[in-house]
Amino acid sequence: MGIKNRLKAGIQKNLNQKYIKKLLGIIAKKPILYTYGSTFSSVSNKYLNIFTIESLKDAYSDNSHPVSYGSLFIPYEMLHALGITPFLPEVMAGFTAGLGIAAQTIKQSSSNWYSQDLCTFHRSASGAVELDVFPKPDFILTTNLACDAAQKSFYIYSKKYNIEKNFYLIDVPYECSKESLRYLTGQIKNICMDICLKSGRKLDLSKFAEAINFSNEFRKWAIKVNDIRKTLSYYPPYFNALNYILPFHVLAGTDKAVIFYKYMYGELKKYLDRQPKKKPDKKGAPKRILWLHLKPYYRSEVFDILERKNSIVAFEEINHVYWPELDPLRPFESLAKKMLSHFLGGKIDNRINAILSHVREYKIDGAVLFVHWGCRQSNGGARIIKDSLKKIGIPTLVLDGDCVDQNNYSHGQTKTRMQGFLEILNSKT
Amino acid sequence: MYTCGIDVGSVSTEAVILDVKNNKILSYAISLTGSSSKNAAKKAFEDTLRNAGLKSGDIKAIIATGYGRINIPFADKNITEISCHARGVISVFPDLKTVIDIGGQDSKVIKLEDGNPIDFLMNDKCAAGTGRFLEVMARAMEIDLEQFAPIFIKTNGKVDITSTCTVFAESEIVSLIGQGTDKNKIIKGLIYSIANRITSMVERIGLTEPVCMTGGVAKNQGVVKALEEKLGVKIKIPDEPQITGALGAAYLAQNIS
Repeated sequence: MGIKNRLKAGIQKNLNQKYIKKLLGIIAKKPILYTYGSTFSSVSNKYLNIFTIESLKDAYSDNSHPVSYGSLFIPYEMLHALGITPFLPEVMAGFTAGLGIAAQTIKQSSSNWYSQDLCTFHRSASGAVELDVFPKPDFILTTNLACDAAQKSFYIYSKKYNIEKNFYLIDVPYECSKESLRYLTGQIKNICMDICLKSGRKLDLSKFAEAINFSNEFRKWAIKVNDIRKTLSYYPPYFNALNYILPFHVLAGTDKAVIFYKYMYGELKKYLDRQPKKKPDKKGAPKRILWLHLKPYYRSEVFDILERKNSIVAFEEINHVYWPELDPLRPFESLAKKMLSHFLGGKIDNRINAILSHVREYKIDGAVLFVHWGCRQSNGGARIIKDSLKKIGIPTLVLDGDCVDQNNYSHGQTKTRMQGFLEILNSKT
Repeated sequence: MYTCGIDVGSVSTEAVILDVKNNKILSYAISLTGSSSKNAAKKAFEDTLRNAGLKSGDIKAIIATGYGRINIPFADKNITEISCHARGVISVFPDLKTVIDIGGQDSKVIKLEDGNPIDFLMNDKCAAGTGRFLEVMARAMEIDLEQFAPIFIKTNGKVDITSTCTVFAESEIVSLIGQGTDKNKIIKGLIYSIANRITSMVERIGLTEPVCMTGGVAKNQGVVKALEEKLGVKIKIPDEPQITGALGAAYLAQNIS
């Protein structure tokens, strides 16, 4: 049994915080971590794993750094500037799927009256909270941007930990206007001040500027990675950009995100240079898929089928760099602008416009919208997305499934849908 | 030159041998899938060879399709039932635009353009709207499934079956029988419940005529009539709708070099 499987088996058997702390205490020690990390297939992947483990170790450690739960899309740059360790229950729910413990956490959430209709990222996270598997937070930050489940379930966590006064919901307005920007900037600033007051920390503007600069640097390299993907016909086997949520969201504002994307760029550039200069004819070229929303985070055949059918995920909408460069002299306003420019905010037209531009830029042949059970913000737009893509001759597969709960995954049906869709794409020349 | 297509479904397995030179079906065989898709495919293949008076060496290429398609070691390739059904119906009705296929555990709607599939929709992880649903209900009512169509045609009025789930629908009809409800009206209600589910799938993908129905359930005139009524179109049925997937696979096998 390899080291990864031994880790999985250990956690499955001992699903409690004490065991996880003990494990992190062993694997997060520098020599071990870096040796373990070096077994990964690329330097970027090595750093991704090291940063993930270090970030978890910080969140689980009993040191004086406050921990804040956060949902996706909140301004992590601000938390890094304040020296607050972020911990993402939704990302951890993805880990529960990968580690094979989602059945336990989801079962626990059912026992605690979480509806089966709720998305399993939140059900699994809620179960882990109820089981005391996650570290105790000092603050909880979430937003109404895109996801409707986080704002409710995260508030329940604040009650569980008796920190209701340290729960913050960032209300992102529907319309993008000057007034919206002023309102959102004020909110982020007030939350920052309140966290300072409650944690006894002082806002160091030079640290804030440093975090903003790191965020800009990461943005620059992420754009370079995306640009190179516009011309790539093949990827290194380890590359799966649906896994890069930690560096793209949580590590924004640290040098770690910069390191990760810089290495990733170098590796893809090398890969591009090694690709045959003569392009395969249109028929032999891999079909380029645009992946919409997320993917199953447990072992599934979805991506193997793509590979077998000579297709690649040319781009994923979650890796779209949608925000303008941030201004280190106006950090709160910049972070507000970043949130307001998200393509999942406001009208569905914002998302569709982004999708249509990806189709043009990444020379897309077909799109797969993974319909994650219970995710209204994404699934609600399925029809209009499919119709918009149809208008420009791009077929779309609306693939029902579940990112976290393997019991909601139908192997045969998923395979037939994916394979059938790729057969349609391949029959088009 | 001869090619063969084998469609391994959840309930039945069909094999078709195509005489490519004369563009005609040489023979076909249908058998129950049972617990081993591999054995079922082997049996269907041997039966159809026997019917055609051929040996396995006479077959240039074999394509497997259906849910058991990956498990057939003697097939040269596997292709989904989406492509195979589309190819199969086109050989019978060349101008077709919409295919409704209702099999044992799958129901699907395929949209065609110039004879090629351009979009499709399949039922979710549920037996409602499939042949299995009708089988379970026939068993619960102790009425031969073949009687459903004549009962549907002669009966006036129906009882709405409100449960979507096959298991709950079974309980619902048991209760209705217990209350003394006319069994014929229950059958009519059951057939309409399938038609409603399929109609919703057809509407999602967009109804374009001509429309054809394939799969074992296409042999049930009650379901066909209910669908025609709900969709407001005439539905074409191939002479043997159950072998359409295997026939399409046999046609696609011509392309194997």
